[in-house]
Amino acid sequence: MLYKIKKLTREHQGRIILNIPELVISAGKITSLIGPNGAGKTTLLHLLAFLDTPSSGEISFGSRPVRFVEKELHPLRQRVVLVDQYPILFTGSVYKNLEFGLKVRKIEKKRRSHLIEEALEMVGMQDFIHAEAHKLSGGETKRVALARALVVKPEVLLCDEPTANVDSENQEIIQSILERANGREKISIIFATHSLSQAQRLADKTVILKDGRPSDLSRENVLPATILGQNEGRIICRLHNDVRITVPVAYYPARTSAVRLFLNPAKIILTRNGEQALSHENLLPGKVVKIVGGNGQIKTTVDTGVPVDIFISLPEYARRPPLIGEGVLLSIPDEAITIE
Amino acid sequence: MDLLIESFKAAILLILAWDHELLAIVGCSLKVSGLATVFAATVGLPLGFLIAFTAFPGKRLTLTCLNTLLALPTVVIGLLVYTLISRRGIFGSLDLLYTQKAMVIGQIILIIPVITTMTIAAISRIDKRYRTTALTLGANTRQVAWVVFIEARYGVIAAVIAAFGRVIAEIGISMMLGGNAKGFTRTMTTAMALEYDKGEFILAVALGIILMSLAFAINLLFQVFQGRVGSDAV
Repeated sequence: MLYKIKKLTREHQGRIILNIPELVISAGKITSLIGPNGAGKTTLLHLLAFLDTPSSGEISFGSRPVRFVEKELHPLRQRVVLVDQYPILFTGSVYKNLEFGLKVRKIEKKRRSHLIEEALEMVGMQDFIHAEAHKLSGGETKRVALARALVVKPEVLLCDEPTANVDSENQEIIQSILERANGREKISIIFATHSLSQAQRLADKTVILKDGRPSDLSRENVLPATILGQNEGRIICRLHNDVRITVPVAYYPARTSAVRLFLNPAKIILTRNGEQALSHENLLPGKVVKIVGGNGQIKTTVDTGVPVDIFISLPEYARRPPLIGEGVLLSIPDEAITIE
Repeated sequence: MDLLIESFKAAILLILAWDHELLAIVGCSLKVSGLATVFAATVGLPLGFLIAFTAFPGKRLTLTCLNTLLALPTVVIGLLVYTLISRRGIFGSLDLLYTQKAMVIGQIILIIPVITTMTIAAISRIDKRYRTTALTLGANTRQVAWVVFIEARYGVIAAVIAAFGRVIAEIGISMMLGGNAKGFTRTMTTAMALEYDKGEFILAVALGIILMSLAFAINLLFQVFQGRVGSDAV
């Protein structure tokens, strides 16, 4: 066990921005924190990095409860490093940036050089060793920031949206760095992301945060809708492009006309032409527009007027893979729908 | 107009001739103001850094007081220090009145608020992420402070330059605490006032030219450092 959180809250200006009754994060694994903006991902990362103090509750690190006093936090911070969503590099060269963490750990100069070269090689930035840090691009800055964190060989690497605002090439590189850091260096990694597919590709475990609380709701298929009325004990919801989904009246939480529907991608059933559609209230015809693989399953996006993601298991995919442009029918059972 | 042109020509000749009296006056000004700036920086920089870097009750009030002190007239400082170091003052036995030391003390009081407030501004402008980055990389409080100081260095240097510019041009403190004694406490500004009183404009204009040249050089330096701050912030 790496972290154990109990009844943790963090308040800001009288508002509770994080409230986690219980959470365990395992050592040696990659854990992703997923959720929309304002879900509390960054706050949680800062608490896990010992850069912020909880308002109440307990965080245990390596089975020992953490006392949030500066004297005890400093040694803990030498074991855990956070890489910001928008990392900032110190004025000076890339070498000087990487040297900082080693200097504060009193690593001797010769060894420092060796470790810096090794870390830069790991992120593919060895040619930039003497470059001025503030002249680097966004993607290069992120990679140097990762190298600066990895060079000190932390037990835990915390990354706040590591691939946000970087091009797809750098996204791939950064994801590979995280995989290698975990696989080769045995560093536990906790990262925040908006992308469930990234979480699925990298993470052994995913924690979904919503309004500062852990949630079992996926962030895929969050669809704004308008309530049109009731018919035969079901609420009629109109989505974008006049796509309609009905839900049992019992699901309807409040008397508001604007709602959000969450469609669980793991519970939606894809039926191809010629196959017998399962009997569900909600059958949406559409075309396959995107297929992405990773983490033991295939994410297929179907354009039904609104894009709907579904997960297909690898054996199912191998049996008969859907094709881009293929016409399909989505069966959405009631248990796949959450309304709020 | 003729008077100004004639005085200006004579003043230029005086400067080019490296007039002994002129050099003594400039030397006294630079020495007193230089020392005052060094001592004030020794107090003002750490004080400004501490105020900017730490959260404490009454911080806003402290900032308001410091900003108020920026407007402290030199004659008020002169009067205050005079009451302390005159023969009947509590430091009267030190015999400081009408010495360069007295001028330095007065000028230190004048520019400590300048250096402190400008240091606070320079440190406060530094992105908070420098601090959290240094912390997460395992730095202790002293090392974090050093990182922030290094990032704010151009702003801090600009604070010191601005303070020097303020004291080199002041007259109230120098006059009241130095006494304008020839060869001892006569500075550029006090000498200019005296020469004006005497109706002798040549030395006054020569000193004016030097003072303005110094002010120009100081402002140029100030701009250079401020510019660096701006370009670094990008």
